[in-house]
Amino acid sequence: MKLAKYLKPYWFFVLLAPLTMIGEVIVDLIQPRLMAKIVDEGVLGKNLELIITTGLTMLALVAVGGLAGILSAAFASNAAQRFGNDLRNDVFRKVMSLSLQQTDKFTTGSLVTRLTNNITAVQDIVSQIIRMFVRATMQFVGGIYCALRISGSFGIILLIALPIQLFLIFLMLKKASPLYAQVQEKLDRVNSVVQENVTGARVVKAYVKEQHEIGRFNEANTNLRDINLTVQKLMATLSPILMIIMNASVIAILLIGGQEVQDSIGVIGGIQVGDVMSAITYVTQILMSMMMVSMMFQSLTRASASAKRIIEVLDSEPVIKDGENASPTGETGSVTFKNVSFRYPNSAGRPVLHDINLDIKKGETVAVIGATGSGKSSLVNLIPRFYDADEGEVLIDGRSVKDYNLDTLRHKIAFVLQKTELFSGTVAQNIRWGYPDATNEEVEQAAKIAQADDFIRSFADDYNTVIAEKGASLSGGQKQRIAIDRALIRRPEILIFDDSTSALDLGTEARLHKALRENIQDTTIIMIAQRIASIKSCDRIAVIENGTIIAFAPHDELMKTCETYRDIYSSQMKNGGNENG
Amino acid sequence: MAENKNTNAPIVHMGPGPGGRRGGPGGPMVREKPKNMKATLGKLFRYIGRNKYQLIMLLIVVSLIAVCNLAGPALQAEAISAITIDDFQLSVDFDKLINVVIAMAVVYVISSILTYIQGITAAKLSQNTVSSMRADLFAKISYLPIRYTDTHRHGDIMSRMTNDVENISNAVSQSIASLFSAVITLIGSLVMMIYYSPVLTVVAMVTIPLTLVVSTNLSKFMRKYFVAQQTLLGQLNGHIEEAVTGYKTVMAYSKEEASINEFSRIAAEYRKTGIKANIWGGVMGPCMNMIGNLGYLLVAAVGGWLSLNHGLGIGAIQAVLQYSKQFTRPINEIANQYAQILTAIAGAERVFDIMEAPSEPDEGKNPITVDEIRGDISFKDMYFSYKPGEPVLKGFNLDVKQGQKIAIVGATGSGKTTVVNLLTRFYDIDSGEIRIDGINIMDIPKNTLRHAIAIVLQDTVLFSDTIASNIRYGKLDAADEEVHAAAAMANADVFVERLPEGYETVLAESGSDLSQGQRQLLSIARAVLANPKILILDEATSSVDTRTEMHIQSAMVALMKNRTSLIIAHRLSTIRDADKIVVLDGGVVAEVGSHEELLEKKGAYYRLYQNQYAGIAT
Repeated sequence: MKLAKYLKPYWFFVLLAPLTMIGEVIVDLIQPRLMAKIVDEGVLGKNLELIITTGLTMLALVAVGGLAGILSAAFASNAAQRFGNDLRNDVFRKVMSLSLQQTDKFTTGSLVTRLTNNITAVQDIVSQIIRMFVRATMQFVGGIYCALRISGSFGIILLIALPIQLFLIFLMLKKASPLYAQVQEKLDRVNSVVQENVTGARVVKAYVKEQHEIGRFNEANTNLRDINLTVQKLMATLSPILMIIMNASVIAILLIGGQEVQDSIGVIGGIQVGDVMSAITYVTQILMSMMMVSMMFQSLTRASASAKRIIEVLDSEPVIKDGENASPTGETGSVTFKNVSFRYPNSAGRPVLHDINLDIKKGETVAVIGATGSGKSSLVNLIPRFYDADEGEVLIDGRSVKDYNLDTLRHKIAFVLQKTELFSGTVAQNIRWGYPDATNEEVEQAAKIAQADDFIRSFADDYNTVIAEKGASLSGGQKQRIAIDRALIRRPEILIFDDSTSALDLGTEARLHKALRENIQDTTIIMIAQRIASIKSCDRIAVIENGTIIAFAPHDELMKTCETYRDIYSSQMKNGGNENG
Repeated sequence: MAENKNTNAPIVHMGPGPGGRRGGPGGPMVREKPKNMKATLGKLFRYIGRNKYQLIMLLIVVSLIAVCNLAGPALQAEAISAITIDDFQLSVDFDKLINVVIAMAVVYVISSILTYIQGITAAKLSQNTVSSMRADLFAKISYLPIRYTDTHRHGDIMSRMTNDVENISNAVSQSIASLFSAVITLIGSLVMMIYYSPVLTVVAMVTIPLTLVVSTNLSKFMRKYFVAQQTLLGQLNGHIEEAVTGYKTVMAYSKEEASINEFSRIAAEYRKTGIKANIWGGVMGPCMNMIGNLGYLLVAAVGGWLSLNHGLGIGAIQAVLQYSKQFTRPINEIANQYAQILTAIAGAERVFDIMEAPSEPDEGKNPITVDEIRGDISFKDMYFSYKPGEPVLKGFNLDVKQGQKIAIVGATGSGKTTVVNLLTRFYDIDSGEIRIDGINIMDIPKNTLRHAIAIVLQDTVLFSDTIASNIRYGKLDAADEEVHAAAAMANADVFVERLPEGYETVLAESGSDLSQGQRQLLSIARAVLANPKILILDEATSSVDTRTEMHIQSAMVALMKNRTSLIIAHRLSTIRDADKIVVLDGGVVAEVGSHEELLEKKGAYYRLYQNQYAGIAT
């Protein structure tokens, strides 16, 4: 198994756990002999002293065995927990290094399950294997040895019972393992229906589709129940069959044992009743250990589905690789697109962007405008390397973005997303997220520029107000302004707004633009916007249509030369434009 | 209760700052500790009781198995005594041995069959219980007020649905059976021991108080760490959820390292607690084993003495020894299951927490049908606050006539969306009233009310299904032609038809593969198909470019004809032909009038307008 390497650093524990367990198992194996001795020599021999001494020996042994058992549990849990911790850290680190196209493909819901439930499942199985598997194996081998020492004829019983049992277990697991994969699948389906309903509760209610959704859920739920039942029914057959084998062996031992006791009457050192009794205990132990192993395999099959999902994450190499160059560049803040083409991975059809050429100078304010789906967002997504261009290159300060160390690159940029993500914590913490060392004054200063100061102060705890469930209590515009605040506090060289003022009313937006102009002249600003009024005053405006830039000039010039732009303009200014000239 | 719970939920911080609060054992942060075990257990059993027959069947089978298990040692003792060679009888009693062995075989076969039945019944019982619990929970969630989903962590609701219910399932299938069987075995072995030797029975019982004392004390320790472990796991999962769903933001701010560090911190703490919990868990077994052996030894010693002095048969001693082992086993088992049962009860508590949260009130009894609703709306003296003390609407008044097109404008946070939330009864007003056709909306059944309204939200909601089914959400029985026509009306047909599979394209998780604007067009198509009496567009075209919007405009005009429409928009071009424009300011209506009237007034609207068309240009 591929995940085994995570146990390597803890070989010490992994090794010690079974070693100490040997102590426990040896005691378990000796115990029946001592018990037999108590019965054979003590009780039958009417030797009370022997009962006491043997008993005390037994008790001492059990104490030692118990201690070994505790130690072994401690070692095993150390190994398993540390294993799980390392694995968890690695998988999380890996997820944090994946490119967006990869997280899109995995889907966030599934990544969360992989990081949580699946890792816990694997960790549990590791701890089980270390403890139970080793124990079962030792009990098995030791049991056989002890049983054979009593009488070779008991070996024949084992020789018959064991292969049958092995075969049955094997057969069962082979049938069950594909079913477990199906269980996982159906469970995912149930989860996704719930997820959609919790996040989309407003729409479900608005369209009075509660019953419809309940129907959808019940279908998924019933499927899950059915597949679970199938697996459990299959597994329910295993244990009675194994029990029959076990008990048949016990009967066989009684019969053979009885015969041998008869034969050995008068033979000194021959087989005795106590021997038969301990033989029963041993054989039971052997077969029980087999049962334990079979249970383990059952869990293993289940866990291997989890392991596969984890390995899938670990094995995916980030598509976007870190560049080498971390050295500062001479000038700061220029962005150049050279013959850039881009299509989303796995999407058929035309590229989203093609033949993009664009040269944005330091300190310039540039707007990108264009129809829905024309590729505006995709264009700016290429700058911080959320995605990589298929052809051509994107340069910042004259250096290809691919050559930058990602951290250096993204520290130059502050990107305000279309969809605002706030995290649990206070407003101030969310803002400071952009720049942890910011002083309170800086936070407020940035908030003033972002036009957020006023409404934040209207909260009961102003900057220390706790944001609930991703900002559900805030309006869309408030969330956007906190996000802008967060971006401003970074003092970026390049500031990108991906349609991130869409929920602001015009007055607020106008004030935001004015404040930006007055306070951060040196920063290059690239903004996607819908409203011409918002972008009119930009230094230059790129008009994008069907994935390519058809014009890039100031507003006045575009009005003269670009028909599409005039169209957009008139769609917004139809009458108002004339009135206000 | 529910509200309290929310404030107690662990808060996981993403970034720097003081870091996540630690869930100390026993503190107010601990969520997994069952608060009211008795009540929760009662409710849980009522649930299990729904599958009464399976439960009874299971209990019967379990008792029969326990009886078989008790018969086993008795027969084995008989067999052993058949082999035992006394001083008087110098051979093994083979006739007796054969008879006993046959009896044993019969018992074993029966017990195997019963075990099989038990397995099947337990599986059915637990699966049925769990699936009906999930179904009930989901139905409950569907009818919870929006306030609930707005104020509770979605991840937490999800985990109740999956993890907690799963834990209950495990407990139901395993713990119930084993607890019951433990009790039967306990009683049974006691009876058998007394049958064989009352004196030895007393001896065997000596260790029981010891067992109880040790196991309760150990459990206390276990539970402490166990609860802490669960709390930390919750924090860890919370962090994962935030980091993964907000990954693009994390990436944009190159916060990966910070996020990883925070993760490692919680994970390390989880690891430490986990190791401790497991070690304490590991102590239980050996301790019980030790006590068990002590008991064994006592029985053997006293038994030996009795057989020496009072001629107690070896078979009886052997039997009592076996039974005394069976006697301690159930106690161990209960102790071992303790953790599992505890998790299940904690889980059940969290599940019932949702189940008992009040559903959306729906007390409307007015028999009006959707078709009868015309669409006059009047808002009177509406007051509303999401949080007490922070009113959003303070005396909102507005009259809307059937078929009118009303636009609501105002600064961000002025309460525009709140008006929509109240009209659809996502939230209920604190005071004042809303009437539709003169009927208070509190009196209209919610289904009727919402059927009469179609709403397009700024944050679009799409389901991971085909595009056609997503549009059809407005009207489930719509024919393909209707769906296509609705899409065409919303101008969504252009991009849909360009997709390789057209309307049958399956959207990724919540439609994340479409642009925001495209998603909005699909929601508009959905509303078109629903053909409502009242149409609400809440920033429905904010991400659609203005030219596309213009294309939709004519369709919108057609769509709004003969129905009352409420439009919330920032773009004034979107709303200028509205019959009435309502300017909201500070939770009250500042101005009402048509575009021209309001411009002439040179008030708030005029200023907004200036901003949009002239303000920035200078």
